[in-house]
Amino acid sequence: MIRLYDYVLSASCYKIRLMAALLGVTLEQEAVDFHPGRAHKSVEFARLNPAGTLPVLVDGDLILTESTAMLVYLAQLSGPEWLGPSDPKSAAQVQQWLAFSGRLAASLGMARLHDMLLYDGDIDAWRAQGHAALRELEAALTERRFAGGVWLVGDAPSIADIACFTNVALSQDGGVSLDAYPSVRLWTRAIRALDRFVEMPGIHRLHELRPAPEGV
Amino acid sequence: MIAPEVLNEWYPVAMAAQIRAGQRRVTQLLGQPITVALQDGAIVVTGQGGTMPVTEAFGHVWACPGTPAHPLFPIPEALETGRRLVDVGVVRVKCSPLRAVENFLDIAHFPFVHTDVLGAEPHTEVNRYEVSIREDSDEVWATKVTFYQPQAAKSAEGGIVTQYMYRVPAPTAAVLYKTCPARPDALDVIGIFVQPLTEELCDVWPWMALYDDTTPQADLIAFQQMIFLQDRSILENQIPCLLPLDPGMEIPTQADLTSIAYRRWLKKRGLTYGAQMVAA
Amino acid sequence: MTPHWTATGLSQDLPKAVAMAGHWQGQDLAIWRSASGRVQAWNDRCPHRGMRLSHGFVRGETLACIYHGWVYGADGGCKHIPAHPALTPPATIRVAAFACAEQDGVIWVAPADMVGAPVALSGLQPLRSISLTCDVAAVLAVEPALSGGDMLRGLVEIGGQACEVCLLVQHNAAGLTLHALCAVGADRIAASRWLEDLRRRAERKEAA
Repeated sequence: MIRLYDYVLSASCYKIRLMAALLGVTLEQEAVDFHPGRAHKSVEFARLNPAGTLPVLVDGDLILTESTAMLVYLAQLSGPEWLGPSDPKSAAQVQQWLAFSGRLAASLGMARLHDMLLYDGDIDAWRAQGHAALRELEAALTERRFAGGVWLVGDAPSIADIACFTNVALSQDGGVSLDAYPSVRLWTRAIRALDRFVEMPGIHRLHELRPAPEGV
Repeated sequence: MIAPEVLNEWYPVAMAAQIRAGQRRVTQLLGQPITVALQDGAIVVTGQGGTMPVTEAFGHVWACPGTPAHPLFPIPEALETGRRLVDVGVVRVKCSPLRAVENFLDIAHFPFVHTDVLGAEPHTEVNRYEVSIREDSDEVWATKVTFYQPQAAKSAEGGIVTQYMYRVPAPTAAVLYKTCPARPDALDVIGIFVQPLTEELCDVWPWMALYDDTTPQADLIAFQQMIFLQDRSILENQIPCLLPLDPGMEIPTQADLTSIAYRRWLKKRGLTYGAQMVAA
Repeated sequence: MTPHWTATGLSQDLPKAVAMAGHWQGQDLAIWRSASGRVQAWNDRCPHRGMRLSHGFVRGETLACIYHGWVYGADGGCKHIPAHPALTPPATIRVAAFACAEQDGVIWVAPADMVGAPVALSGLQPLRSISLTCDVAAVLAVEPALSGGDMLRGLVEIGGQACEVCLLVQHNAAGLTLHALCAVGADRIAASRWLEDLRRRAERKEAA
């Protein structure tokens, strides 16, 4: 079974947990004491991943330390349709969004770690960079809506959507509201409404998708 | 001007293990800058007025910005052999410290906020429970609290009706005692120790004393952090920010008896840091 | 100030059975659409423990608070308290509502006792809502073809052609939100890019 070294509050780890759930794949999850223990920075952990980061995905002798690579791997194995359309333009756009997801982690993700777990850094810069990235995402998703589409690339959700979703959906944890980005909000709802979607702390269940209990 | 009643209480300011490992924590308490550090082998908390009374308990460093009105409250279960003591790790929340405590005392939100873990529709009814303010210790206690939970603890297999007791031994600390899946004759203890940085910002230090011989430490921490972090976006979106201590603005029901008692107790004792008095 | 309608969002951004945050006259609103399509604008605060209703969930014709699941009906009155399923909530437990109208693809809000309908905007289609960190003066300074106060209108060049645009202004703490409409039949992607460019020029103008 594929093993995921995981931290429950990590937006990057959540990308992998979410992708696996959507694919119907079970991962062996090993919890790492990221906070308060900082176990990912230990000498022991460095033997697995010298970069000292989470998530880490291990499948036999394959060790992956970049979340976008893990998304590609899981999709290749268990749901190639999640890689997006294979024409050159679409494939390039998927790659572009995977790279863009790094900016979301470096801005919105860091603002969240600052506000929530007391990470030290330039919070104003992180939030400003987060808003700048959200503006670009809003513009792109708005244009997709004009064309009748919901997802970042193609007519179905792809690893591009999953890679970008987690830090965006958790942005208010870092003091960045999505109120100014209606297309982004509709897109996050579409992802949250997917079959087999799983939440993480900071993202509530969509109770509206379940009918009210009898008698209510 | 902060009331003496507020200043003369104990507040958590750091995790003891981190300070003993050499960390120097620069932080705030009741709006004033403080430093927590190791000096000559002893943990020292320094504020603008000099060093403060300090004590170490339940894995954390506690400081009193005034003159302690009483010793820090006890949790006898913390000393029982065989218990796993877990420092869950600090989480910062942009809310009143009193709102953070009140949320911890509430169970009616379980099906909606901790869905499929601590509660689930249609099991939303909150049964009658008992609340009192114990005169000898001047603490708020809620007993005979019961609730159906799909996954009550990391160690639980399947849904159970959990028995709870809640206790407020200090203005910004609360302790819950709940059914222990591994040992039906004992209670798991979960504490929430809230450091008021300002009236609208707090550092929350959860802590646990459990009977669980099998679950790895990282998983115990992860489970408790998951529960607390599910509450964070609620806490940061309550209006007004300060906890209203006068009736009128917020409408409680029978399920809110603990919160009603907590608010009455705060008001009676003048513990109004993080509260608003006039229903705005 | 005489009572008037203020644009607070576009219909296309609020699907059925969804609630969102809105702002009006410095107040926070929960703007929500029921399953049947009816839009309402309420005070963004559950009377129980003050939780924002804009975080809530819509089932049928009701909006429920995410915190304890209290259910509010179309008239703003509390219909159900999940902690006490057998209880009929007192009629005093209710959320204040504002006047809310939907017209020309725009969601408008006004004081609860507002009389009359929002101004009609014929020949225009909704484009998008966009937020800016500058003020109206900066927008007008970089786009002389636009004029107005709370409604900026004019013929601007989009995709090499003259195109009518209408920008409904909503002020907020950070700057402005413009609920933008453009001529029916216009290329909306080109119009959206024009709007992005307008924002960049106006924000740089103000920063300069």
